[in-house]
Amino acid sequence: MIKVKDLTFSYQKNKQTLHGLTFSVSDGEIFGFLGPNGSGKSTTQKILTGILNGYGGEVNLFNQSIVIKQKEFQEKIGVLFEFPYLYTNLSALDNLNYFASFYPRENCRDIFELLEMLDFKNDYLKKPVSSYSKGMRQRVSMARALLSNPQLLFLDEPTSGLDPSGAVLFRKIIEEEKKKGTTVFLTTHNMVDADLLCDRVAFIADGEIKALDTPKKLKEKNSNHQAKIDYLYQGKSTTITIEIAELGGGIPFPHDEIISIHSKEPTLEDIFIHYTGRGLS
Amino acid sequence: MWRGFISILKKDFKLILSSKFFLLALGSLILYSCYINFVYVKLDQDIYPVYIYDPMNTHTRVSSEVTQVDTIEDLKEKYSDGYSVGIDASSIESEIVIVTSGITSTDNFRAAYALSLLSPESSYTVENIGQNDKEMKNRREITSEFLFFELAAVGFLGLASLIFKEKQMGVIRVHGILPVNKSAFIISKLCLFLLSDLVFTCLLSIINLGLSAGWNVLPVVFIQAGILSIIMALAGLYCAIRVPDFKQFSLLYLVLAIFITTPVFLAAQTNINWNWINYHPMYHLFMGMKNSYFSTPSVGSSYYLVCALAIVLLFLLVHRALTHEMAKEG
Repeated sequence: MIKVKDLTFSYQKNKQTLHGLTFSVSDGEIFGFLGPNGSGKSTTQKILTGILNGYGGEVNLFNQSIVIKQKEFQEKIGVLFEFPYLYTNLSALDNLNYFASFYPRENCRDIFELLEMLDFKNDYLKKPVSSYSKGMRQRVSMARALLSNPQLLFLDEPTSGLDPSGAVLFRKIIEEEKKKGTTVFLTTHNMVDADLLCDRVAFIADGEIKALDTPKKLKEKNSNHQAKIDYLYQGKSTTITIEIAELGGGIPFPHDEIISIHSKEPTLEDIFIHYTGRGLS
Repeated sequence: MWRGFISILKKDFKLILSSKFFLLALGSLILYSCYINFVYVKLDQDIYPVYIYDPMNTHTRVSSEVTQVDTIEDLKEKYSDGYSVGIDASSIESEIVIVTSGITSTDNFRAAYALSLLSPESSYTVENIGQNDKEMKNRREITSEFLFFELAAVGFLGLASLIFKEKQMGVIRVHGILPVNKSAFIISKLCLFLLSDLVFTCLLSIINLGLSAGWNVLPVVFIQAGILSIIMALAGLYCAIRVPDFKQFSLLYLVLAIFITTPVFLAAQTNINWNWINYHPMYHLFMGMKNSYFSTPSVGSSYYLVCALAIVLLFLLVHRALTHEMAKEG
């Protein structure tokens, strides 16, 4: 679906933002693109969505260079921006009808079904967007991104501004899109989203990809293979950290009751800091 | 490629409606028309009143428009207003006395006019190129000036406020990923403002010149109004896209108003003579508009060629600025 080879980009002379990124995203995959502010992830997304030109290297979407048929591939993509960019003087319905008018009618999804799927309050359907909460605006923005039934979906912080139940709903919708065969390029700071949704993640910092793999493999590679055990022995509660390999023959110390066993697996954020030397804020 | 153009037009129309631009234009139309009909055409000031002090009755055939005064003090009092012209015929040689206007050409004109009234029988050959009573002349003059002001200033501001609204909502960036030609985004706004300006031009001309005179000049006026409207709309679009906020835009607008349009009004409306004004593009647009109201086509094909080139250049600049704005950080 996406093939990027030696991608470079500079906003100013002598100051390169992207230093030869190479990665590919398969059809139907959810690909996480994680990086701190200023790392080059937005620039990469802008190039992939055809907003930015003047880059170096090769970028192929749908097995075609994006330079050649930009308008044609824009019909096949959906983009959710970090902020809900909508006409605030128009209603959700007017906004969605407006954006739908740019796509072939036969490709467009039913606006009412979309909004229902996104748990949008029907009372607000004809009220101006200026009266909506951030969560409601985010729902309309997601509906806009999904309107054209895209084959490739770019999502930038999709769960930002949503309450926990809204975030769960959005994750469910993203997974359903994947089941339908949609490829998802997910840009986020949210490690929970990345961990739960992504088939593979790429860590980008200073315009370079520092690591790229499945969350599971990244965790395995960076695990210290230890387990933390809480137990009771002779009426006393104790915690001990031991090598997981030692557990092969059972619990290797005297105890009356095991309260919990946790592998000391690193989080994605720990791994990110390990590779890049800085956090994701 | 142009799918959705009608939707952009409809959306822009709704945005303009919500920005109260049409209300502002209607307000301007009423204000200008009231001023023209109830104030301006009634300002019937005579051309340079001329007074003569002639104790020895040296000049026996002076025009009836010259007023006799009895004393030299009376004469002094009359010409002291800085506008009237005095003729002191108390000595052998008559003298023209004026308080200078500060502009040599105007002073010379006032003196020549006073002298012409001393010997009114001299005949002059005048080529009559049209009929214009004084009131109609005044109406045409002030209508053209108001129209120029409205199209240059108010249209420019109206379009800028529309763009700032869209910038504030962030929706310009969304258009970067939509399968629509970016030119459609610009052309829809140009179409709406052009249409609105032409309707304004039509109403202003007919209300203030009358149906017959207004209708007669409209075809030529429409061309000038169209050129000015498109140029100002493109300039407004460019400035509004490039300038980050409305405060900075207001400052830029002030600079534009002071340094660009003021010399044009001064050069065209007063007797100030600046040779460099011929290189000022707004001066030609202003004169083009004014001449169109008098049905005096003073412009050649080079004028239209330069205007067309300016429109193309501005359009390309706006297109480039829009592409840049769409790629901006969220």
